Amino acid sequence: MSLIAGDLRAFLASGLKELRILRRYPLNFVGGIFWAALLPAVYVLMGRAYSGGSDPRAVAAFAERSGTTEVAGFVFVGYAMYMWLSSVLWGPGTSLRREQIQGSLEATFVSPVSRLVPLFGPGVSALIPMLFSFLVTFVSLWLLFGFVPPLGSAIPVLVIVAVALPAMYAIGTLFAAGVLRYGEIGPVVQIVRGTFVLACGITFPVAMLPGWAQAGAAALPPTYIVSDIRAAVLQSVPVSALAGDLFITIALTIVISIMAIALFRVLEASARRSGMLGRY
Amino acid sequence: MDELRAAIAIGKKDLIVLSRYRIAVVSQIFTPLYQGVIPAFLFGASFAVAGHVVGLDATVGTENLAGFIFLGGVVSGLVAISFWSMGMGLRNEMDAGTLEPIWLTPTRHETIVLGRALGGLVWFLLSQVILFAIGIFLFGLRFDAAIILAVPALLVAIVGMVGVSYLLAGIVLLIRDANFFIDTTNFLFGTASGVAFPVTLLPGLLQPIALLLPTTYAMDLLRQHAIGARPTFDPGLEYVGLVATTAVLVPIGLWAFRRAERIIRIRGTLAQY
Repeated sequence: MSLIAGDLRAFLASGLKELRILRRYPLNFVGGIFWAALLPAVYVLMGRAYSGGSDPRAVAAFAERSGTTEVAGFVFVGYAMYMWLSSVLWGPGTSLRREQIQGSLEATFVSPVSRLVPLFGPGVSALIPMLFSFLVTFVSLWLLFGFVPPLGSAIPVLVIVAVALPAMYAIGTLFAAGVLRYGEIGPVVQIVRGTFVLACGITFPVAMLPGWAQAGAAALPPTYIVSDIRAAVLQSVPVSALAGDLFITIALTIVISIMAIALFRVLEASARRSGMLGRY
Repeated sequence: MDELRAAIAIGKKDLIVLSRYRIAVVSQIFTPLYQGVIPAFLFGASFAVAGHVVGLDATVGTENLAGFIFLGGVVSGLVAISFWSMGMGLRNEMDAGTLEPIWLTPTRHETIVLGRALGGLVWFLLSQVILFAIGIFLFGLRFDAAIILAVPALLVAIVGMVGVSYLLAGIVLLIRDANFFIDTTNFLFGTASGVAFPVTLLPGLLQPIALLLPTTYAMDLLRQHAIGARPTFDPGLEYVGLVATTAVLVPIGLWAFRRAERIIRIRGTLAQY
C-alpha cells in the first residue's frame, strides 16, 4: 500500500515538475495563439476558394460528405484536434527524450518508483496547452468568422473531452515508449501527426478517404473524438446519440494503454541490455 | 570569378551535408505532400459536384484542382527554401560553430547567402520534379505546355526572393534564436503570396501587403500559363509589379544584411547563440 502511495506522490511530483517547466517558457503560448488561430483561418479561406464563395451546389456537396454546411466550424474543430494531437505528441510523447538529452533519464530510472510514473507523469502537462488551444480556437472562430457554438453544446463537448483525455494520453504514452528504442523521434512525430491528420478527418471529411483508409481511421480514437465534437457543436447532437462512439473510444483507450505499458516494458528491458538509456 | 567559385562551393557543401541525412531528404519530399498537398486536395475535392470543382472554377476560372494546389506548392517551396535554407542557414552555421571560420575567409559575406541560394535552388528543382511526378501519377495533375512561358516570371521571383533572403539573414544574425520568427513569417509570406487561395480572398488589410511581394505576381502568372487560371490583374501589369518589387527588394535586403553584419561586429555577437 505504501508503495502505491509513494508512486502516486511521485506521479504528482512528475506532473508538477512538467507544469513548472511549462510555466518557465511563456513565449511558447504565443506560438499556440498564432497557429491555433491562423492555420484554420487559412483553411477556411481555402474553403471559400474551393466553394466559389459559397456556391450553393458546392456547399451542398460538402454538407453531403461532412454532415454540415458550416465550413468554418468544421475546420476550426478539426484544427483544435490537430493542436491537441501536437501538444500530446510533442509534450508527453517527447518528454522521455528531453530527459535523455538533459541527462536526467538514467537518474530518474535509478529511483525506486514504478517505471509507469515517468511514462505517464508528463501527460499531465499536455492538459494546459490542450485547454489553451481549445480556448484560442473557439475565440478566434467567433472573432474571425462570427460563429458562436450553441450554449447547449457545452455539456456534450465536456463529456466528449473527458472521455477523450485518457485516449489522447494513451496515444502520447505509446509514442513516448519508442524513445527507449530509437532515441531521436522528432521526424517520427511529424510522420505520426501527418498520419493522424490524413486518417482522422481533421481537415477534410473522412468520407473523402478510400474504403481501406476509412477502415483504418475507425481504429483511431481521434476519428471519433473530432467527429463527435463536430456533431455536438455544429449539429447539436445530444450525448446520448454519441454513446456508441464514446464506448468505442473507451475500448480503444484500454487497448492502446495496455499496448503502451507492454511496449514500454519490452523496450526498457532492451534499453537496459543495450545501454540505450544514456545514449543519444 | 572567385566569388562565383566560392558560391558554387557553398552550394555543393550544403547539398553534400543534406544528402548525408537520408531520412531528412525523404521527409522534405513527403512532408509537404502529406501535410499540405493531400489534405488540401481532399478538402477541395469535398466541394466537388459530380466530379467537377465548380466552386474553384467560379473563383479562379479553372476547375483543375490538382494543378491549382501543386502550382501553389511550387511557389510555397520557393518561399520555404528562401526562408529556411538561405535565411535560416546562417543560424545552422552558428549551431554548428562554423559561422566564425566562414566569416573570416576572404569571401564576401553576401556570397555566403548567395551560395546557400544556389544549393537551395538545386534541391528545390529536384524536389519539385519528384512532387510533380507524384502529382501526375497519383493525383491526375495536368497542365498546359504554356507553363514554359511562366519560367521568366519564376526566374525574376527567385532573384526577388534572394533579396528577401538577405533581409532575413540580417534579422537572423541579430535575433539569433530565430526558429519561431522564420516559421511564422514563412507561413504568412506564402499565404500572402496566394499559394493556398487567391489573394483577392485575403482580408482587406493584407491585400496591399500581398502586392508588395514578387511571389504574388509569379504565382498568378504561373497559374495563368499552366492551368489557364483567370489573371487577378492585367498580365502586363503583373510583370511590371514583379520586376518592380524585385528591383526594390534586392537593394533593401542587401542594405539590411550589411547593416546587421556591421552591428554584430560592433557588438561582438557573431559567436553567440
